[in-house]
Amino acid sequence: MSKVVLVADDDDDILLLVTTRLQRDGYEVVSARDGISALALAREHKPRVAVLDVGMPGLDGLEVLTAIRAAEELHDTRVLLLTAKAQESDVRRGFESGADAYVKKPFSPAELAARVRELYEGAR
Amino acid sequence: MTSWRDKPTELLLAAGLVLIGVYFAVPRGNAQSVLYDLIGVGSAVLIAAGTTRNRPSRRTPWLLFAVGNLFFAVADIIFNVLVNPPVPSVADFFYLGGYPLLVLGLLLLLFAAGGHRRVAALGDATIVTFGFILLQWVFILDRIVSDHSLGVGERAVSAAYPLMDIVLLAGLAGFFVSAAWRTPSFLLLVASIAFLLIADEAYGVGPNSYRSGDLIDAGWLLSYVLWAAAAVHPSMRDLSSPARREYGRLSVGGGRIAMLMGALLAPAAVLLIQHLRGIAPLIPALVIASTVISVLVVLRLVGILRALERIRSRERGARADAEQAQRLLEAQNLRLLEADRMKDEFVALISHDLRTPLTSIMGYVELALDDDGESELDPERRTYLEVVARSSQRLLRLVDDLLFVARLQSGRLDLTPSRLDLNEVARQAAEEARGRADAKDLELVVDANGAVPVEADRGRVFQLLDNLISNAVKFTPDGGTIEIRVRGNGGALLEVCDTGIGFTAAEAERVFERFYRTDRAVERQVPGTGLGLFIAAAIADAHGGRISAHPREGGGAVFRVELPLAT
Repeated sequence: MSKVVLVADDDDDILLLVTTRLQRDGYEVVSARDGISALALAREHKPRVAVLDVGMPGLDGLEVLTAIRAAEELHDTRVLLLTAKAQESDVRRGFESGADAYVKKPFSPAELAARVRELYEGAR
Repeated sequence: MTSWRDKPTELLLAAGLVLIGVYFAVPRGNAQSVLYDLIGVGSAVLIAAGTTRNRPSRRTPWLLFAVGNLFFAVADIIFNVLVNPPVPSVADFFYLGGYPLLVLGLLLLLFAAGGHRRVAALGDATIVTFGFILLQWVFILDRIVSDHSLGVGERAVSAAYPLMDIVLLAGLAGFFVSAAWRTPSFLLLVASIAFLLIADEAYGVGPNSYRSGDLIDAGWLLSYVLWAAAAVHPSMRDLSSPARREYGRLSVGGGRIAMLMGALLAPAAVLLIQHLRGIAPLIPALVIASTVISVLVVLRLVGILRALERIRSRERGARADAEQAQRLLEAQNLRLLEADRMKDEFVALISHDLRTPLTSIMGYVELALDDDGESELDPERRTYLEVVARSSQRLLRLVDDLLFVARLQSGRLDLTPSRLDLNEVARQAAEEARGRADAKDLELVVDANGAVPVEADRGRVFQLLDNLISNAVKFTPDGGTIEIRVRGNGGALLEVCDTGIGFTAAEAERVFERFYRTDRAVERQVPGTGLGLFIAAAIADAHGGRISAHPREGGGAVFRVELPLAT
């Protein structure tokens, strides 16, 4: 099983923030700035946890999530969705698409790291 | 209590009828003649007295009536003294002089009431008058004028009476149709003139057979009595005041139609009567009269149609105006709705776009403060960053509140209700606030035992509680106490009590208003936007509950939320 965590966000600053925080915890982080490269990186590295921003150009987080769930070789990947929208309906849609966790922006990096750890350790 | 003083008109009428009865009961002779003269003079005196007593705004018409009736009474006296004098006599001078005075009085009343402005009313009066002229000509005047056995003077004076009757009838008709008022005085006056005309006509048809004491006298005597009664009745004042009703609507009453119909049918009636009596019809008179009457009636109808058309076009104009205004309003309403929607979108967009950079600011500040052991942050810089972190928290809360209010106002506050335990949410919200309470050395007591089930949106109820608790933390000075109580009998009851700065009873009504801040909050510069309690109230409201604020004895406040229990 890969030690890799995938992070995808179209905002460079957030991407760096999440990457830095997770690297501090000792994860091997691969990062993408859009959905298509995120999916490509996921296929390539088979990450244990994927942190996906919902609002991305090209493929959005939910579409990447759906593609990951459809891929046989990625069935062990846990997915955490990041969103700026605080609407209950978005949360529901995320879980219906097969998300394992959900973190709303703005988030505390420590809290995000904690959620990632839970997923990472809970992953089979 | 009513005494005879309160009913002078009834008293006068009763006395008059008794006197008339006595008149016909006593044998013909001087006594009877004196009684007749007394009634005539009495009438003139009573008209003058009634005018003085009632004080109408215009006295002249009534004084003319008094003088006119006095002329008649004087003529009666002369007539009786001379005992059926030959025509013409001094009596005729007074009789004929009385009519113009009465007609002038009627016209003055008509003008005082604004009747002259009513062309239609005058038109109707003219038509009726022409019908009457025809009758007068055929049945009375023609015979007098063509009676060559009489002298010219006698013929002229004899003919003057029917002519005067025509003038009097014209005055009466104009007065009658123009009157917008139907007061007792008016009816008495009309009845009086009607009796006068009937008696005159009866006399005119067969003057040669008349003797004092004939039944015809009843008509003239009744005319005297009724005229006096009209002047004595208090409603006579209304006759000389301008009509209260403006001629704004088109009304053609039954009485008026009957009058016009009578005038229109007069030529035919005359023709029939003359035919039945075997008299050769007076073709020129009939032709002239029926022509004039027909033309006048047609003109009158045209007038009515024109008035109708005017009213209709006015209505059409008014309706068009109303529709135009309605369209304008609708367009304006649409624009307002559009502007409101754009405002909501703008607020939502701004709030969303503010959250993204806030995520970076707060995240990196936390990252910088988070000691990873590699680099020690010097205490001064740490303090600065902590200020940035706190300010960012406040900014985030403000953005969230604004976003919430924008959503609330555009009606997009979606609730996802589920069955939840209010006690558990209260404990959780209290735990969340414990750090902030500790920082101010506040005692945070939670009195929430057992389960209080409510059907509510968990996130929103948490927000409601958090707003109330944050509010209490904010307004309670260091070392104070905050108590959160939850009860579940009857309905779900939640109370947040503090020992803070509180508010006045008057302010308690207003603390839930948007952007409202109490005087004490402003005075002590407690930071805030005045949105927290507004949002709390909106959430309580959206769940079918209610919220209230109560000042506490000895300082502090109690906020009470009532929610329906889950069934």
